[in-house]
Amino acid sequence: MSFVSDSVYPFAALCGQERMRLALVLAAIDPAIGGVLIRGEKGTAKSTAARGLAALLPRLAEGRAAPFVDLPLGATEDRVIGSIDLEAALAEGRARFQPGLLARADQGILYIDEVNLLDDHLVESILDVAASGVNRVEREGQSLVHPARITLIGTMNPEEGDLRPQLLDRFGLAVAVSGESDPAIRVALMRARESFEQDGTAFAQGWAEAQAVLAGRIVRARAALPQITLPRPMQGFIAEICRRNHVAGHRADLAIARAARAHAAWDGRDIVTAEDVTEVAPFALLHRMRGATPDLPPPPPPSEDPEESDQDGESESAPNSDGSEEQEESGAGEGDDAAPPPSDAESAEQAPGPAGDDGDVQSIGTPFTPRPLGSEPRDALLRTGSGRRARSLSASRQGRMVASTPLRERDDIAFDATLRAAAPHQLRRRDEGPGLAIRIRPEDIREKRRERRVGSFLLFVVDGSGSMGAHRRMVETKAAILSLLLDAYQKRDRVAMVVFRGTGAETVLPPTGSVERAARLLADLPVGGRTPLSAGLVEAARLLDRVGRRDPATRPLVLVLTDGRANAGLGGGPPHEEALRLAAALGQRFAAARFIVIDTEPPGLIRLDLAGRLAAALAAPCLRTEDLRAEDLRAEDLVHFAKEFQP
Amino acid sequence: MSLIDPLRPLYPFAAIVGQERLKTALILNVIDPSLSGVLIRGEKGTAKSTAVRALAALLPDIIVVEGCPFQSDPDDPKAMSSEVRARVAEGESLPTVTRRVRVVELPISATEDRVVGTLDLEHALTEGKKRIEPGLLAAAHRGILYVDEVNLLDDHVVDVLLDSAAMGVNTIEREGISVSHPARFTLIGTMNPEEGELRPQLLDRFGLCVQVEGLAVPEQRVEVIKRRAAFEADPESFGLGWAKETEALRVRIAAAIARRPRLVATDAILLDIAHRCLATGVDGHRADIVMLKTAKALAAWAGRDEVIAADLDEAQTLVLPHRQRRRPFEDVFRPDAA
Repeated sequence: MSFVSDSVYPFAALCGQERMRLALVLAAIDPAIGGVLIRGEKGTAKSTAARGLAALLPRLAEGRAAPFVDLPLGATEDRVIGSIDLEAALAEGRARFQPGLLARADQGILYIDEVNLLDDHLVESILDVAASGVNRVEREGQSLVHPARITLIGTMNPEEGDLRPQLLDRFGLAVAVSGESDPAIRVALMRARESFEQDGTAFAQGWAEAQAVLAGRIVRARAALPQITLPRPMQGFIAEICRRNHVAGHRADLAIARAARAHAAWDGRDIVTAEDVTEVAPFALLHRMRGATPDLPPPPPPSEDPEESDQDGESESAPNSDGSEEQEESGAGEGDDAAPPPSDAESAEQAPGPAGDDGDVQSIGTPFTPRPLGSEPRDALLRTGSGRRARSLSASRQGRMVASTPLRERDDIAFDATLRAAAPHQLRRRDEGPGLAIRIRPEDIREKRRERRVGSFLLFVVDGSGSMGAHRRMVETKAAILSLLLDAYQKRDRVAMVVFRGTGAETVLPPTGSVERAARLLADLPVGGRTPLSAGLVEAARLLDRVGRRDPATRPLVLVLTDGRANAGLGGGPPHEEALRLAAALGQRFAAARFIVIDTEPPGLIRLDLAGRLAAALAAPCLRTEDLRAEDLRAEDLVHFAKEFQP
Repeated sequence: MSLIDPLRPLYPFAAIVGQERLKTALILNVIDPSLSGVLIRGEKGTAKSTAVRALAALLPDIIVVEGCPFQSDPDDPKAMSSEVRARVAEGESLPTVTRRVRVVELPISATEDRVVGTLDLEHALTEGKKRIEPGLLAAAHRGILYVDEVNLLDDHVVDVLLDSAAMGVNTIEREGISVSHPARFTLIGTMNPEEGELRPQLLDRFGLCVQVEGLAVPEQRVEVIKRRAAFEADPESFGLGWAKETEALRVRIAAAIARRPRLVATDAILLDIAHRCLATGVDGHRADIVMLKTAKALAAWAGRDEVIAADLDEAQTLVLPHRQRRRPFEDVFRPDAA
């Protein structure tokens, strides 16, 4: 396993990225901090730093180096948790436990690169073990408990989708990294990398002394840790920080307290100061709060009583210099997420009303993070397809093997599990006559249970009529669609788009995996003309039919974005009533599909709530574009919303 | 294993009409395999696959430990499997063979266990012992891993590719097996952007990216048809007809490979790189490092001993477009990006 040890970039040679290095060092000083999650854009030395840390860990009591265990994304559960040793079972005819990666990582680091891509189920088991320090194995008739005191380090790029909040919360510290913007540092970085790649051994020798100094400092800090005191005012200060930032539970408090003590030890002091706390607090808050910037109250004056400083904190509005520095630093990474408002917002405002049939193209409003549409509960239905939105048991032989089962369905044999099942019986079976080295009976056979994430199919049914041109409605609507597309992109959904305007409806985007195409199309989407809602619904039905025939297991999510002011029908009575009748029929016919109506009627006017009536006819929930924004995350996610609504 | 069939005659690389940027990008990766690959974007029928397959004939020879399924390098402990390293540690002198660098094709239908490696069932059944059956990543070590339609690859397979591309090591912890072996490969992928974009993390792993388009000059198009017809009528003699050009390319590549480690880049060049990357707005620092390598490979290809600003101008067009921080869904190649 120490295969890469001679090709690891020395930790001491890292340029920049001070915060990330600090967080890792703190976790090395006190493994009880509960691990570090490094979040950041690609190519920011996340993995390099994590792997480099291994060389700095203090040696274990028995003199061997602390283990550094790499958990690959393709790992199966038996190797992570442990399972029975096949060869021993064959030779001795009895089951013996073969430890997994968790046992190997005891008293060391378990490192997961791209932890957000690892199977949720595995992440959960690992976090459980990391939190309790013991691994309890109950499988294949084996029952065993072994210590697993591990420091978990995970890296992830949020562009690839985030970890679930419950999992995020269980990492002790998190740190956001971004690229260095100082050209001089970038030059130094290129030079260092150049000489490392030219001659790794010489490079390592050049940094050996600096490495030894760092390692020595970590050893001393770890030894000093039990003597570090956390004064009462500081305890109050930590509690106030957590209260202000609305972090649930006590994990953040504990993590700040531990990290602050480790920081004091790192600095060679024996008492925790307010500087220690403000320095480490963002690490514990970043992944546990909703906003981007932690709100740090001013620290209490050292001599004062905690209650009093609590009140100080509330009345004080200007944070002290330490606090504001922290805020700037941790805010910098997120700052560019907030896109500026579209520059032509005003020009769109000036173009109200129907613009005739040639159409008027409105810009796309500022996109936002939509609330999660995904995470529908797993069901037992086997599906084909690929994506990230929902987890599903896989019907094909693709997907990640998550476990094995004695049920025979698909001839997808889990050889290892089969052999393990057969192994304990071999001595006896060998006496029964000549044959292969391993005698397998039908009852031994195990099949793979594979799981893969399947993307959903998102169908946008968009009102492109003239009334959408007024009051920047189309700008807002486009922003809503774009935001949903962004989400769809991360989850690898397939998307399609139907637009109705003027005299009819059209599938402007047939079902595709190219969300980019959808976005490009969106930018050029014109508005103008009447509102043939019925035609839009009919076109949507045609498309759903086609998709359903191709893949009957798909459960489409249909988003109807309209103000509901139908004024052009198909000749079946008043346009609005006709549309409602069609909507009811549509909802019944595609029972597996989930519908959501997004009301684009601007607030403030006399609301006609026509979209609400459309939603009622579809038995669908009705949301407003502003409801989609992630800030309103308090409600259950959109799909759950839709499911609850639809019996 | 779907290796490129060595018996089937390949269309000669030198005979490909036009597509100079594509050809340069591929050759640069042969000169410096640590550039870690090329992503070729473009419509169907633009000689993407032909060029990659043809590249196989230009690749240099490497020395590998005989019979080692992981293509261990007898001279570099970093590129050895743990088994071979144990043999070296015991003082065994290893039998070696010299062979051409391989192009291993990864079909998009490949399952994760075939890519990573899995339990050798036959061995387990007949001998009662565990042994790994190496996957495509083992076969591709020190060679080229080619993925046609890389954007259609199953997500799980992309995950394991990213994992081993990150450190050049493939760690197998599955189905009772626990092995890690070196897996450094040049990843070459082709894609048609109409069918969906690549995941950002995977996109960044490709050192270079080129956009190929159909040829616009009618004479060139005629030439393509003529050569193709001649090749199909008689591949052997077509190949012989281009033997001289092919050999010249091989010699020039070998010279560039020898020259590259000696190349120097001044601080001014490095600063220029940093400024260009910052001005473009890239994520992280991989762009800087890859651009330096690309510029060096370009200088080596041109037969110079020093990197000059003109190398950066060219390197920039290969390294930066796909790394530019985009607004969501912006095209990788925007009309104004050139």
